[in-house]
Amino acid sequence: MSLRGAAAIVGVGETPVDRLGGKPGEPRKSTAEYLAWAFRLALEDAGLEKKDFDGQGLAAIYTTNHSQPFWPEEAANILGVSPAVSLAGGNGGASAVSLLGHAAAMIQSGVVDLVVVVAAAAPFSERGRSRVEPADTRDFEMPFGVMGPNSKISFVMSRYMHESGMTADHFGKIAVTARYHATLNPGAYLRKPLTLEEYKNSRMISDPIRLYDCVLPANGGKAYIVASPERARNLRKPPIHLLGWGERNNASAGPRSNANPLITGVRECGKAAFQMAGVSHGDVDFLGLYDDYVPIVMLQIEDLGFCEKSNREFFARTDFTIKGSLPIQTGGGMINCGQPSTTGGTLHVIEAVRQLRGEGGARQVAGAEIGLVTGLGAVNYGKNFGCTATAILGGKT
Amino acid sequence: MAEPAKTIPKPLPEITPVTRPFWDATAQGELIMQRCKDCGSWVWCPRPACVECGGEKLEWTQLSGRGQVFAFTVIREVVGRALRGFASDIPYVTAWVDLEEGPRICSNIVGCPIDQVTIGMSVEVVFEEAAQGIFLPKFRPR
Ligand SMILES: [Zn+2]
Repeated sequence: MSLRGAAAIVGVGETPVDRLGGKPGEPRKSTAEYLAWAFRLALEDAGLEKKDFDGQGLAAIYTTNHSQPFWPEEAANILGVSPAVSLAGGNGGASAVSLLGHAAAMIQSGVVDLVVVVAAAAPFSERGRSRVEPADTRDFEMPFGVMGPNSKISFVMSRYMHESGMTADHFGKIAVTARYHATLNPGAYLRKPLTLEEYKNSRMISDPIRLYDCVLPANGGKAYIVASPERARNLRKPPIHLLGWGERNNASAGPRSNANPLITGVRECGKAAFQMAGVSHGDVDFLGLYDDYVPIVMLQIEDLGFCEKSNREFFARTDFTIKGSLPIQTGGGMINCGQPSTTGGTLHVIEAVRQLRGEGGARQVAGAEIGLVTGLGAVNYGKNFGCTATAILGGKT
Repeated sequence: MAEPAKTIPKPLPEITPVTRPFWDATAQGELIMQRCKDCGSWVWCPRPACVECGGEKLEWTQLSGRGQVFAFTVIREVVGRALRGFASDIPYVTAWVDLEEGPRICSNIVGCPIDQVTIGMSVEVVFEEAAQGIFLPKFRPR
């Protein structure tokens, strides 16, 4: 059974991001406001109305602000819809891409015609509840002073540099490319051009991770609407079809007590997505890779099969800009557009839809017909990302 | 005028029935891990069942405490309120150590200037008392 052509994205909504709310007197928007705002924008984009969603599907991504068990119900209450199906996005940063497949499966099975995937977080406005850490982290990382994902990705990056011989020049090229795309995107938060020297001179956060390797936490909301092929016809915007999809969680290359952290679950879910889509690597016009950290982008390019592992020559030679042979992060990526907590991955889905509709403006990849996006969430003890998902989208079926 | 800075506590492991044998052993100066009697796999962090075969016959097994640095990072900034207690230790090294028996453990490299830590360096376990009766296994150059 395949999800190829089972559903299409028919609307996207993206609020501006901001980093305000931390000081008294600054305007504060709550997660609920961002959620409603993003939904309204997605409805307008699709030419649908709120009442179209009664008896349809709602998929709500959990955030660190709202990790209570009733979040999908609360999201429905905030939006004023009465869904027949509630999907809960509990895969962290992988949720946006993960839920695209889950929504398509509910649509393909005929349970609903529409699913709205909603995501919002306001970490700068709301103090949020204290995070509940998994036992491995609580008992065997935090007592040793491991500073969350910054440290864990630093472990992976240090090993990657050791095994591959990659240097700050390789990583910096990715950061510089993403920022270049951000300068062409009116919606990006960081739009000042970045040079390789500036990247290399940015301060060390957790060796070998520098400031410009790290994502930008932000407040914001995003939503996208998935529809059955029938329902997708005759809406305001052309449908962007789901061609391929895969998800893989808790992947482990090698024994679980001693995994190879340089191989991510994207290797498995990417293969599944390519098989389902029936396309080859050369058919893909651009990539939107989950980028909470720069080096993770490179591991995904390898694991998706665009080059062999640790191919320094490939990373040095390839033009990853929108004019190049393998454009990545066409809107600037999360490192420049901001990451509202676990909802950040929606950025890549929405950017892919814009590119495939030809709405990319100055950053448009000429003739883009097929795009690939990924999502990643959690970083497991001694391994790499715990949650991974890949989707391949196309303007044509 | 200013009150003396309060000592912010560092997070301590929560000792559960599953993890208690490990912490009891570190207090005795021993490093032990679960090993599956059915398939021989090492199981870490502590679990109620084998993550490879699902078997429940797990046996706490002594390790040599020797290993090599697999990966490491120098912590230079505190991230998150829960970890503010480490602010005065910065910069310090956290690492993944591959033990000679196979499993990988996350810990600190101590007893060594931070700029001399390298991937592949040989290390051995030492036990540091983090709170009364709670000893954390850390690693120093061997
Ligand atoms: Zn076993």
